[in-house]
Amino acid sequence: MKQLLQSLPLLILSLNQPPEQAHALFPSQTIRLYDYLPPSQRTPSAKLHTLWAARLILALLLLASLIGTSVVYAGSREQAKRLHDRITGVPANAETLDRMAALIEAGSPNEAANVAMTHDAFYNVTLKNWITPWTNLDRTPFAPLNDYTATVIGIIRDDLDFRRILYDNILYTAPNSGAPLYAMTNNDHYAFLENNGISLQTALEQTTQSAMSDLPADATAGVLTTRQGARAFFSSGTNRAQLRYTLLNHLCLDLEQIKDITRSPDRIRQDVTRSPGGDSRIFLNNCVGCHAGMDPLVQSFAYYEYDYDADSDPEGENGRLIYNAEGTLNPDTGTRVQNKYLINSTSFPNGYITTTDTWTNYWREGPNRILGWDSSLPGNGAGAKSMGQELAHSEQFATCQMQKVFKTVCLRPPSSSTDRSKIATMTSNFIGNGYRIKSAFAEAALFCMGD
Amino acid sequence: MLLSLTGCGGSGGERTSTNPPSSASPRSNGFVYSGPSAQSPDITRFQTYLWANLINSDRCGACHGDNGQTPRFANSTDVNAAYSAIQAYVSLSDPDSSTLVNKVSQGHNCWLDSDSACAATLTSYIQNWAGTSISAAAQTIDLSAPVQREAGSSKNYPDDASAFSNSVYPLLTTHCAECHSDTADFAQSPYFASADLNTAYAAIKSKIDLNTPEQSRVVVRLAKEFHNCWSTCSSDANTMLNAVTQFSNGVATTEVDPQLVISKALRLTDGIVANSGGRFESNVIALWEFKTGEGNTAYDTSGVEPAMNLTFNGTVSWVGGWGIQISDGKAQASTSSSKKLHDLITATGEYSIEAWVAPANVTQEGPARIISYSGGTTARNFTLGQTLYNYDFLHRSSTTDPDGMPALSTPDADEALQATLQHVVVTFDGINGRRIFVNGQLVSTQDDTPPGTLSEWDDTFAFVIGNEVSNNRLWQGVVRMAAIHDRALTPEQIQQNYDIGVGQKFYLLFNISNLIDLNDSYIVFEVSQFDNYSYLFNAPFFASLDPNAAPNDIPLIGMRIGINGRETTVGQAFSRLNTRLNQADYQNGQQTLSRIGTIIALEKGPDDDEFFLTFEQLGDHSNVYVEADSSVTASANTSTTAVSDVGLRNFAEIRATLSELTGVRSTLPALASTYQTVEQALPATESLDTFVSAQQMAITQLAIEYCNALVEDTDLRSTFFTGFDFSANADTAFDTSGRAQLIDPLIANFVGSNLDTQPTDSAVRTELESLITNLTRCTNTTCDAERTATVAKAACSAVLGSAVMLLQ
Repeated sequence: MKQLLQSLPLLILSLNQPPEQAHALFPSQTIRLYDYLPPSQRTPSAKLHTLWAARLILALLLLASLIGTSVVYAGSREQAKRLHDRITGVPANAETLDRMAALIEAGSPNEAANVAMTHDAFYNVTLKNWITPWTNLDRTPFAPLNDYTATVIGIIRDDLDFRRILYDNILYTAPNSGAPLYAMTNNDHYAFLENNGISLQTALEQTTQSAMSDLPADATAGVLTTRQGARAFFSSGTNRAQLRYTLLNHLCLDLEQIKDITRSPDRIRQDVTRSPGGDSRIFLNNCVGCHAGMDPLVQSFAYYEYDYDADSDPEGENGRLIYNAEGTLNPDTGTRVQNKYLINSTSFPNGYITTTDTWTNYWREGPNRILGWDSSLPGNGAGAKSMGQELAHSEQFATCQMQKVFKTVCLRPPSSSTDRSKIATMTSNFIGNGYRIKSAFAEAALFCMGD
Repeated sequence: MLLSLTGCGGSGGERTSTNPPSSASPRSNGFVYSGPSAQSPDITRFQTYLWANLINSDRCGACHGDNGQTPRFANSTDVNAAYSAIQAYVSLSDPDSSTLVNKVSQGHNCWLDSDSACAATLTSYIQNWAGTSISAAAQTIDLSAPVQREAGSSKNYPDDASAFSNSVYPLLTTHCAECHSDTADFAQSPYFASADLNTAYAAIKSKIDLNTPEQSRVVVRLAKEFHNCWSTCSSDANTMLNAVTQFSNGVATTEVDPQLVISKALRLTDGIVANSGGRFESNVIALWEFKTGEGNTAYDTSGVEPAMNLTFNGTVSWVGGWGIQISDGKAQASTSSSKKLHDLITATGEYSIEAWVAPANVTQEGPARIISYSGGTTARNFTLGQTLYNYDFLHRSSTTDPDGMPALSTPDADEALQATLQHVVVTFDGINGRRIFVNGQLVSTQDDTPPGTLSEWDDTFAFVIGNEVSNNRLWQGVVRMAAIHDRALTPEQIQQNYDIGVGQKFYLLFNISNLIDLNDSYIVFEVSQFDNYSYLFNAPFFASLDPNAAPNDIPLIGMRIGINGRETTVGQAFSRLNTRLNQADYQNGQQTLSRIGTIIALEKGPDDDEFFLTFEQLGDHSNVYVEADSSVTASANTSTTAVSDVGLRNFAEIRATLSELTGVRSTLPALASTYQTVEQALPATESLDTFVSAQQMAITQLAIEYCNALVEDTDLRSTFFTGFDFSANADTAFDTSGRAQLIDPLIANFVGSNLDTQPTDSAVRTELESLITNLTRCTNTTCDAERTATVAKAACSAVLGSAVMLLQ
């Protein structure tokens, strides 16, 4: 917007010029706009049309932006519009707008929010965009629908305890949509749903990962063990990515924020050099801070691998999740532990050697106590399921979800004491309300719909 | 009171020998022996490997020669007499402990500047003589009771350098900066007189003893070793002592917490040297172990003459626990001494370069020269280099060019080179060609270049570590050991040397007898200086030196390492230990407590740091460990920066909105295709601050596509633009009613009604009227029905692609 305001004189000038002169003022825009037209429509007149279209768009944009940035005390119609915009991403039609405005005026804004949430776009647009960045390493929203995204959407639609996304044996598919069957080796099922604009609100059906894959029920851990969760975070590497991104996406914390160099380094694996470049101060002041707590948690993923052909399929499009179930031994390690847990063992031979998938949460002690771990859980266990539950049951998990909801609906992070106070209230309500996300969306949208 | 154990030890440990050294040719300087022949094979070996190196007048021959003082072991006229004379002064089974070596190490007429270098060289001579008489098997280590120290209060260096800057630092910068500064013309580490206070403070810590100032190295060097005094040594030493005392007096004493359950204390030097295993060094022709720790020379202690001593040039500093760090310099031998490599290697036609290195990073290339025997960037006999994650082996032969190309490198995918301490060996022989081993494993693939011969080797090159001889291929990192062998080491020999490790290791026996009421009981750690900044405490076990003692189910919980009167906060890898000392696990006089190791930050240096162990519970003694309350309240973000209350629709919201408003399905192929093209040019986030003109162009393009689809679809358009005649020519279609039929639905559907946050109807209407008027001036164009549709699309796009749609 700032750029637009700075170009105000130029815009006014251009609007008062005949097209030919304005062309000289906006040559680049005109050419680009024209170039965007399909080849069959690139006629001389189209060139002029696009110029004028651009001029008008810019003018309207400026006009609307000036309105938007001024302090406006919104009426019920404006509130209803924003409520719908923020929850669904699309404007309400006239009928819906009238209905929502009436509900707001009648003192039932929550009902108005619920009306908006019946729109398909809440699931196909808002939630799809909200969740997609959690499902890839680049944290980009520009990624296809997948089983991770669909499962979270399904859990929200069905108003289930949102914590289950990190540990439950749950999966959402659309078996009656005409899509190819769900497969462990590709994403075709979900790509079909997206490419054909299938309503996720109506098409998704709940099932279990153990029913749709060869994963044993006790090896399932919500989105962590979905195909996409594995593809993104179990591919190559050391499986530490799965924990790091779970912390980033679901506890809103990067390792830098929770590093604690005073935890015992006894579970740090052999692949972590204790003297990077010959300087152990780096390890003692930095590396140990993350690895001391991270490695004993990541051990929960010791039996998981994402198998793909790195040469012919570098993106792992056709790879699949592998889990060494009871009785399956890795030929190299001689245990159920995947090779990746023992790679680069000469970096520090005296480091920890993984032989099982038992995990311990060292961050329950020390400064990270404040993350609010569930005192009814033991803080240790075996496998991804109990570790996922450990994370999901922290207060920080609940707070993080509320922060994310707030940002999605209010289009800004909490940025004032009022906002932060709202986050605290929302978190409290979220916990008290059985960890249901839809009501949190409504609460945030009402908070941000304008006075 | 002795316990034997088998272990592996440090370099400098014993060596194994399976073949007589191939480099057995006399290394004399023209001297021809004409006395009686050696009377036994052993005397021949003595003559070759030790005697020939001692008889010169610049060595022992000056005093212990033919008519000199006894013992006349450097008798140059009768090797058999010399052999008899030396017997009491050498130990072939343990060359390190030979009286000959000890004498020299204590400063007795060393012919080099470094006593330790003379001792190491003499040790090599004796080892070479001993040859196969030293067992290849791992030797047993006898554990014996160490000195008893109580963990005492201690003065520790404050984090802040101000006390140092007001006391000792001014003296150092005034009198020592000519050498001991990193900016000096002839810079010599340690840089405790650096112009940078923090650099100086870090360097001085191992040279000052805060608890006993008179034992500080900076005092002793002046008082007793007369090292570059600036007036008279006694008064200079006194001045320095006063300054150190002033510094020490300003430092508070760290008292040992009386609540702790603690073992007896030890210093590293109280430990038992754990040098049991044997390196394979039968064919070593040059060896640098970097033990000297000071000065500008790294000595070749292979015992094979001439010694290829390396002179430091640029920023090269010593590393604790043996080693040198190349920051911006090199360590280079003379061309004349380097010729040894040419002569001996071309004689055998094979060789190995062995080194323990820690590359500073994985970004250097060139290849950056780790070890090179060359004449410049385009001429060499051999080079071990680094290119990113790869080791490169350049080797000149009849099948490669003078630059040693094509090089053999480790495979890219393996990322064999890591920025951590690694054992790297490259070998060349006429059968296997070049091979590269990292940490004992062969990592290179088959050398595609035929082996060739070494006939092209040039004897005028110089041996260098850390750079090219021409100073323009810097390698940064640490070299803790380097050796050249004139044979290709076998994989087994390489693995053997890798297993031995590098640096000196000690067994530290922490006495806990008083805590568990069991005689001569110890927790034993294998401890070494890991690098300049830390110690490695490895694989602790429990042992009693009393052969009749055995633990009887003694609880041992929460063991921590203390240093200089306090537990360290970082590196407590045994704090979660929870075990019991019992007879079942106590085998052969020891019970393993853990196989892992941990590193503990170095504070004052290996001579002064004092270690002890603490326990949460040991036997009947316990101390509840209370962690310092380090929890911090999450700092509330008190930012009050105003943030916009409105935002943009993002890419997917725009697409859905365009579909929602026009009624056109986004799955239409043309729309899907355009969307795919412009998707990433659309706003990725809702923030207004991120909006740029390119995004507006993408929005416009997409809006045009949706309006095009709307207007081209006769059913959709007739529903949307009710009554508008799309078949009329452009000059008649846009009369008053036509304009209303076009503009009214655009405002009603796209802008909405009665919304104060949207532009007013009249404002939009005025702009659209103006647009339509301009577009229907058909002076130079045809005003047919096709143009009518085009104008409708333009009007539709102008609203649909505008802020009324974009802002939310």
